[in-house]
Amino acid sequence: MTVINSVIAVIGTFLVAFFIALWLPGLERKFVQARIQQRVGPPVSSPGFMAPIKFFFKETIKPESPMPRLYNALPIISILSVAFILLFMMPQMYTFAAFAGLIAVVGLLKIEEVIYMFMGSLSKSVLSLKMPFPDIVKGAKHPDAPRSFLEELSTKRAFRMIAFGSFPLYIALFVPVVMAKSLYLSDIVAYQQVHGPVLFTLAGVLGAVVFFVGYMVLLNEYPFSILKAKADVIEGPLLEYASKSRAYVYISRGFLMVVLASLFSTLFLGIPPNIFDWHSIVTLIVVLVFPVIMAAVSAFSPIFTYRQFYPVVLGSSILGVLAIVATFI
Amino acid sequence: MSLKSYSRARAVHVMLVYTGGCNGCDIEIVNCILSPKYDAEQYKVFLTWNPREADVLVVTGPVTRRNEEPLRKMYEAIPEPKVVVAAGACALMGGVYKNIHGDIPSEEIMGPVENIIPVDAKVPGCAVRPEDILSGVVAALPKLLNAK
Amino acid sequence: MDEDNQKTNEKVDRKVIETEISMGPVHPAALEPYRVRLFVEDEIIKDAEITVGVNHRGVERIMEGLPVEKANSLTEKICGICSNSHIWNSCMVAEKALNIEVPERAQYIRIIMEELERMHSHMLYLAHGCEVLGHETLSMRMFYIRETVMELLRMIGGNRVQYGAPIIGGVRPRCELDEMRIQKLKEGMDTVEEKMTEFADRFVSDPMIMSRITGIGTLSQKDAIKLGTSGPTLRATGVEKDLRRDMTVYDPFEFDVITQDDGDVKSNLLVRVFEILESVKIIRQAVAGLPEGKITNRSWEMQDAPITKSYIEVPRGTLYHSYALQDGRVRHSVIRTPSITNIGAMQYACIGQHVTDAQLSIVQCDPCFTCTDRAVKIIRLDK
Repeated sequence: MTVINSVIAVIGTFLVAFFIALWLPGLERKFVQARIQQRVGPPVSSPGFMAPIKFFFKETIKPESPMPRLYNALPIISILSVAFILLFMMPQMYTFAAFAGLIAVVGLLKIEEVIYMFMGSLSKSVLSLKMPFPDIVKGAKHPDAPRSFLEELSTKRAFRMIAFGSFPLYIALFVPVVMAKSLYLSDIVAYQQVHGPVLFTLAGVLGAVVFFVGYMVLLNEYPFSILKAKADVIEGPLLEYASKSRAYVYISRGFLMVVLASLFSTLFLGIPPNIFDWHSIVTLIVVLVFPVIMAAVSAFSPIFTYRQFYPVVLGSSILGVLAIVATFI
Repeated sequence: MSLKSYSRARAVHVMLVYTGGCNGCDIEIVNCILSPKYDAEQYKVFLTWNPREADVLVVTGPVTRRNEEPLRKMYEAIPEPKVVVAAGACALMGGVYKNIHGDIPSEEIMGPVENIIPVDAKVPGCAVRPEDILSGVVAALPKLLNAK
Repeated sequence: MDEDNQKTNEKVDRKVIETEISMGPVHPAALEPYRVRLFVEDEIIKDAEITVGVNHRGVERIMEGLPVEKANSLTEKICGICSNSHIWNSCMVAEKALNIEVPERAQYIRIIMEELERMHSHMLYLAHGCEVLGHETLSMRMFYIRETVMELLRMIGGNRVQYGAPIIGGVRPRCELDEMRIQKLKEGMDTVEEKMTEFADRFVSDPMIMSRITGIGTLSQKDAIKLGTSGPTLRATGVEKDLRRDMTVYDPFEFDVITQDDGDVKSNLLVRVFEILESVKIIRQAVAGLPEGKITNRSWEMQDAPITKSYIEVPRGTLYHSYALQDGRVRHSVIRTPSITNIGAMQYACIGQHVTDAQLSIVQCDPCFTCTDRAVKIIRLDK
């Protein structure tokens, strides 16, 4: 009986998370950014819900890529890795202790980041080097210079993001670990049920701020969107996705938003996502509040180049380290 | 209305290609999308710069010689179903550059747009008004919605 | 080789090119089609090449042999942003060649149109600059403020973009300013001044934006003079040079020549912001002192004339028009727009910047490649 209950809970949580994920882009666009920009804005369902459905009905084309099938599979891998994070976060899965730990979460998030590198190196869009324009002509500068696609630039940036960009998020993830003295999610949740949520301590508050910065960096949202800056690389790694694959790209972003926010509520509030538990309403609030704050921040900030990016990441990483130190007080 | 048409009507992605007009139409189109006064997003029209994402291609300008190939490539890169909206006098019939006839006619104009790619909706004006652009995109929508 | 040139060559070290990145003709950060090739090493630009010619329509060539009235309205179609400047300058060439006296009232209305155009052009520049910075909200705000000016232009000229106010000997009758229009102009100027001041305050007090634009795309005063830049791009490097000071039509008006010292994106943006406020001042003076009288002098006769030149100050710098007249038709037409000299500054400003700042460094010089495109012949290397 408990097995069936667990299965229903897991599937139900998945469906609810999925459904919420489809509305988040519209929520950001309509109720936050459009309000800040003093305009009416799109309907809530359009950017996140209707757009993927529309892309499902478009003609399937072969992307301009050396490995089209791998390139098209990458968004699905990304969705799967995020889905596994959600799966391991649910209390029903805590019996599989080896997976239900932070190491697994970090590993799966790393997949999410590395995928951008693959995407970037596999995309060969018409908007960059394939544009039919006579560049190498008499009088042109440096006719012998090796030429590269815009997406290769994105690949380099994705590599840097892996190297330093996601520091804040990972440091913040380990604040609750240090407090609970365990890597397992079950222990962290149990610790918070006894001692109260991590968020209501000094370390927890610092950690939450750092977590939020990491959340925005991982989602490539506006101040940190150098990976797909419109001013040079247009959409970067995502340039060649069309029809169904583009729909998966849309969905995976919303899904990642939901999962990262519920990771926050698990680690910092001690409330794992579970539709059979009425406490999960807190998770829902966190899931809705995070994108709203993010949209407000992104509406008020320009794109950061490395000149601004390094100090922000460095500062929040130091804050994260301080948070970890503060756990010992 | 089926889910297919409904979803297509609720999210229309527009891509702009400038093919060498006088800039007037280009700016009016950008104005119509970015200005809060017109705000195309409230009519479910979104701006994109990626042909793979686009449904509607808005073309301005008389298509100069250097722009012919890029325009064709952009058109080919858009997955079906797609519609093309030609905006402005130059895109419709070459404008003053093709039709004013000095002593030496210009050989640089390959347009109008119809000569290069099929056009589904035409928006007249020099320069087009933002309202007209929106109505032009709307006029092209039935073809998009009823496509397979 | 003198000292300046050596310095330029030091900045453009040609041996460290790792790869080339090309953008355009279709690119979100470009309002018009052009090609940029960036030669980068580790995401830092070592050299840049901007190719125009994508927009080439052969306007001067079509002008050859057109009746002068028709040619004037064709010059308007060179550029959708500074259309009034082109048609004004083209009319001034004819007026100079044929010794036509323009009524005082017509001059005032022309100046009002020109200043309104300068305002909307600079506002577009600011909006585009914010868009390239990645700041959508401020860009939309700027477009919203710009709408006031566009409405005024539509009210006076009858069209939002190609208003075609000047004709040879005056301005078109539809551009006559009556009491209602003057009232609306005054109200519009108040709105623009108030909102621009707010915008500028908000803009310079934002630490994130300031850190993005300070010290980016720097052009020293020496280089700016050497590269022959003109207009606000030159004034942003500290040179007090405004052709409006030398134009007799601007004599009755009091205005300041705005200069900034640094020559970076911040200086360029600020020069434009203050110039909008100066334009507000000029329009207020013009509206207050608008002389009575007719607006068109139609008592002139066509005759042959040798090549006549005219320079004026337009939103982007110095505009040059010249043509000869033969049997009432235009011959030997030459147009030189400010952006053609500013291209050098754009390429120069790109060097040493991060790739994300490349478009910003180009946009800071306010490119208008539709104006600029002249005959381009391409000889391929590989075939």
